[in-house]
Amino acid sequence: MEIQLKLYGSSKILSDKDALKIELPSNSNIEKLRGILYKIISEKHPKSNLENLSETAAFFSEKNEVVNDNYKLKDKESISIIPPIGGG
Amino acid sequence: MTLHIALVKIEEEKISSEKAKKYIASEKNGAESIFVGKVRNENDGKKVTAVTYDAHDQAVIKSFQSICNVAKDKFDKNAKIFLEHAKGYVPVGKISILIAVSSGHRDEAFKICRYILEEIKHKSPIWKQEHYADGKEEWLPGHSLRPKEEVK
Repeated sequence: MEIQLKLYGSSKILSDKDALKIELPSNSNIEKLRGILYKIISEKHPKSNLENLSETAAFFSEKNEVVNDNYKLKDKESISIIPPIGGG
Repeated sequence: MTLHIALVKIEEEKISSEKAKKYIASEKNGAESIFVGKVRNENDGKKVTAVTYDAHDQAVIKSFQSICNVAKDKFDKNAKIFLEHAKGYVPVGKISILIAVSSGHRDEAFKICRYILEEIKHKSPIWKQEHYADGKEEWLPGHSLRPKEEVK
């Protein structure tokens, strides 16, 4: 299956576009997504200072709510990655 | 209306103190507190020229509403609140956030202003990318929204 990961803040380093398409096995959850994200960062962006992002980021569902690691992803679902925040 | 909140695309509009002052004016409220946050020219020994603010628009608006409503419930239900935060490229010296509050008394006005600012830093999905005089840029570290029980 495939999901669309909407990029915000430091995660924008991962693509020139606003979102990244990520292939995942069926029935994957957020924990699985974290693992794949870690692999993408370490293989494709090793000098990006994003080495902790897969651990520190939260993820928003399409309802703009934080979802936990057990949250089951659906094919074609749109998920937002929320790196550590710091407005004001 | 006692609450105005907005995420302002700074290339298209500007954040205005005058607009905020007009909005919060009320004969019922004898105290006004206004916080203006601006981009400063130095951070951690580096010369800063501008900050780009990125935001998850819908979640930011939702968080602003929730934070302001809680602030009113906690301190003064009759308070009038004006809150705007910049989105986009903000040069040094320009406004990044403006919080204006009018309330019955000074203590509540100060407290609401401070409460909103601190809550935004911990709850609203906004990110800062600093631009430096040497041409480099960097996303600043922040506060993780990942559920605490999941952090190993």
